[in-house]
Amino acid sequence: MSFRRCYNFCRNLFRKQRADRDLDQEIRGYLELLAEEKAQSGMGRDEALRQARRELGGVEQIKENVRDVRGGVSMDNLLQDVRYGLRVLRRNPGFAATAVLTLALGIGSTTAIFSVVDAIVFKPLPFPNAGRLVRIRSVIAASGDGGVASYPDFLDWRARTRAFDAMAVSRTDGFNLIGPREPLHLQGAVVSAQLFSMLGAMPALGRGFLPAEDQPAAAGGADPVILSYGLWQRQFGSDASVLGRTIRLGDGPFTIVGVMPPAFQYPIQAEPVELWTTVAVDARGGADAVTTQRGAHYLDVAGALKRGVTLRQAQAELAAIAGALNQEHPENKARSVRVVPEIQGIVGPIGTPLLVLLGAVGCVLLIACVNVANLLLARATGRRKEMAVRAALGAGRGRAVRQLFTESVSLGLLGGALGLALAVASLRLLVRLIPAEVPRLNSIGLDGRLLAFALLVSLAAGILFGLAPALRVSKIGVTASLKESGRGAGSGGKERSRTRDALVVSEVALAVVLLLASGLLIRSFQHLTQADPGFDRQNVLTLQLDSPAGKPDSQVPAFFRDAVAQIGALPGVRSASAVASLPLTGESLRSSIELEGQPTPMASRPSAAFNAIEPNYFRTLGIALVAGRDFTEHDGTNSTPVAIVNRALAQRFFPNQNPIGRHVRPGISGPGEPPMREIVGVVGDVKQAGPGAAAAPEVYAPLAQIRISPMFIVVRTANDPQSIVAPARRQIASLDKTTPIYHVETLDRYFAQSVAVPRFVTLLLSGFAGLALLLASVGIYGVISYIAVQRTHEIGIRMALGAQRGAVLRMVVGKGMLPALAGLAIGIAGALRLTPLLSSLLYGVNPTDPLTFAAASLMLMGVALVACYIPARHAAKLDPMRSLRYE
Amino acid sequence: MAASRTDLLQGTLDLLILKALALEKLHGMGISRRIAQITNGTFEVKPGSLFPALHRMEQAGWLSSSWGEAETNRRAKFYRMTKLGRRQLGAETAQWERISLAMASALRAT
Repeated sequence: MSFRRCYNFCRNLFRKQRADRDLDQEIRGYLELLAEEKAQSGMGRDEALRQARRELGGVEQIKENVRDVRGGVSMDNLLQDVRYGLRVLRRNPGFAATAVLTLALGIGSTTAIFSVVDAIVFKPLPFPNAGRLVRIRSVIAASGDGGVASYPDFLDWRARTRAFDAMAVSRTDGFNLIGPREPLHLQGAVVSAQLFSMLGAMPALGRGFLPAEDQPAAAGGADPVILSYGLWQRQFGSDASVLGRTIRLGDGPFTIVGVMPPAFQYPIQAEPVELWTTVAVDARGGADAVTTQRGAHYLDVAGALKRGVTLRQAQAELAAIAGALNQEHPENKARSVRVVPEIQGIVGPIGTPLLVLLGAVGCVLLIACVNVANLLLARATGRRKEMAVRAALGAGRGRAVRQLFTESVSLGLLGGALGLALAVASLRLLVRLIPAEVPRLNSIGLDGRLLAFALLVSLAAGILFGLAPALRVSKIGVTASLKESGRGAGSGGKERSRTRDALVVSEVALAVVLLLASGLLIRSFQHLTQADPGFDRQNVLTLQLDSPAGKPDSQVPAFFRDAVAQIGALPGVRSASAVASLPLTGESLRSSIELEGQPTPMASRPSAAFNAIEPNYFRTLGIALVAGRDFTEHDGTNSTPVAIVNRALAQRFFPNQNPIGRHVRPGISGPGEPPMREIVGVVGDVKQAGPGAAAAPEVYAPLAQIRISPMFIVVRTANDPQSIVAPARRQIASLDKTTPIYHVETLDRYFAQSVAVPRFVTLLLSGFAGLALLLASVGIYGVISYIAVQRTHEIGIRMALGAQRGAVLRMVVGKGMLPALAGLAIGIAGALRLTPLLSSLLYGVNPTDPLTFAAASLMLMGVALVACYIPARHAAKLDPMRSLRYE
Repeated sequence: MAASRTDLLQGTLDLLILKALALEKLHGMGISRRIAQITNGTFEVKPGSLFPALHRMEQAGWLSSSWGEAETNRRAKFYRMTKLGRRQLGAETAQWERISLAMASALRAT
């Protein structure tokens, strides 16, 4: 039965002409037979035919009724409506162009932003088990801060859980590949052996890690390494015989056991990972190894949920396990666990701004829809007679509404097609604006998902803005419309103008929200870029170096000191030094600290940022030395352990005291027990975690007493820092040929990177706010001009009766400003609820900053006033005689 | 829309058409005349109701159609009842008898 219906539907659709011809013949045959019958009963031939015709009734009506019962008819009507709609659009090219362009802007910007958000946030991860992957964050219970876990905690989670199929740790690290050619610094990852099987990823060549390989190889043995496809191609010439070969990575030998397929990436991040090795590298060193320290939180943990286990269940189970661990290990006391989808862990802090942008661009689309609805409404008034005539000729109301919807959906699709083209064209520019640190950018582009989205949005938009005129038509009575004789200010006028007012109110409200959001972001960005980072970022070159492979730890400081001395002696260099963690990067070490005279158990010691530096670091970066002295070359292994603290630390731990001469014990140290260090100096606060972060307590210790590698060499130059790069490389190569130089950047670049996300969001949101403002003002302008034209007659009468131009002007402007003011009020009310969502993106600005609110309101009112004034002045200038004759 | 001396009940037209076609295939006019004949002229089905009904029933699979020659060598479309239509006729007849019985007893009741 349903098959038959389907078959008929298709047959009728494709053989419509034939079916119509058949029907025609059938009815004609009937007519002839009827006429013949009548003729046989003695009627004249012509008379018989006439009678037969009368008895038959309206042939067209019969046909229409038959078509109605036949499947496929709605399709036919649809095509008819589309054809008619397109014809109507062609007849009004101005209207069509305005509507399509408005929609294209709205749909285009929405589609473009969606493509970015989709690629980064929505698209599933490229792993077979993607849906079940979660990130397990070990956090400080009180604040929710943290995220990385210690290896002993991880082992306990994995041993006790029942909710997970598998769990694996990972961390990224730099590796120096030392081979026949020049040394190469590679981004690598240290992972659990189980990681690959957990992700459901298979190597393209060789094997994955074996569970036993989480333990370090026996003395003299090599740990396993798996290469990325790209590294295998570039450095090993795609040679399948690399399997089993031993390579040197930094200090140790590694055996190549596998090569991953080209598309494989883990962890998923902007900078591609080139090789993987196991946590065995962290487990070297036996009882002192970092993997044995429950307090060493440094690993990302991911897990694959068992089938059917929800995130919530996993969270509950792990929270219970973490609670038990807290009991068993008092030093763990303050920690808890958060389970989030893996994608959330990858997307990180860019997620919120991206969703904000998607929301903003959705508002722009809504405003565009409102504008087109306004246009359609104005035109519907002009077409009321047409509709009334069609209704009088027998078109059902449903058919008329369907016709209008078909037209608006056609418009939506046209706008969508143009918008999609705009979006695709602007994608490359958009991608360039996105901060480099954002992962998964490579999957942005035109694909099925994007097409589907654009189609869906276009259809939804078409239905949305088609709603107003369609509802209108469905209410209009035929006779009323015909009687109204096409004049504007008729009986339906009041209701119509209410709809238009509502549309103005809504688009102004939307524009206000966007304007406010972008205003807040702009102010925040100003604060961010003008905030004093605590150092001078101009003309500073930075480059990162490892101490050469095979050098004993004790010689590490000497190597960096030589490098600094050699580079410092180059012409054009004002001053040079070395530091473990650069400002603004957020990659500082953290260490527990213990204060002099206050013995504290490990678990309750406060923590501070920790940095190792060479002498002259503060002078090189222009960091203020507030009190005491800088480190000197005499602060070495055999002299008193010393420290310099920043002002934030001094104020927090030595309030109203002179910290110079007092002692602190940072947990990070050279060999042996961490010593108490004498504070010899206090320096100004430096934004270590980023330009928006508050200055945190920080301890500096001399590199000579710490022995950390790698280090950043920092060089203040007289002129362009780039001119020093080549000579600096030569100097380091002259010291050691096996250590690669990487991350060669200026501090200025680091600064730019640190504000890249806020810059991106601010730029785009301001663009959208501008677009919203433009569309809203065009909308207001359109409505006011329309009202002015509709009321030309009335205005003429008023003026003929002695109304002043000023009064007319005020009346028309007031018509527009009233809904605009209402929109402003609603918009502000809405923004007060919405802008707090932005607070995580704001720096130095309150989400309800009155100045921003005032400025945005004034700006919007100004624009609205201009948009009302221009058509109003035009109306007021009309000659009363001409306006009276106007029809 | 059913133009007849007696207004046709919903569904009655289908039953009448099926009944009219029970013996032989007929063209549209033939069906109309046959219905008038078997109902003693009570029902006169006008083309405005007949054609939509025929097409609907054909879609439902109760009827099949073919072109053929009418009495006076005119081309006409003939309808024939299908197996499905015959089953439908049986079902509708039974249904109708139940209804008419019920109606009759309802009207007789005081």
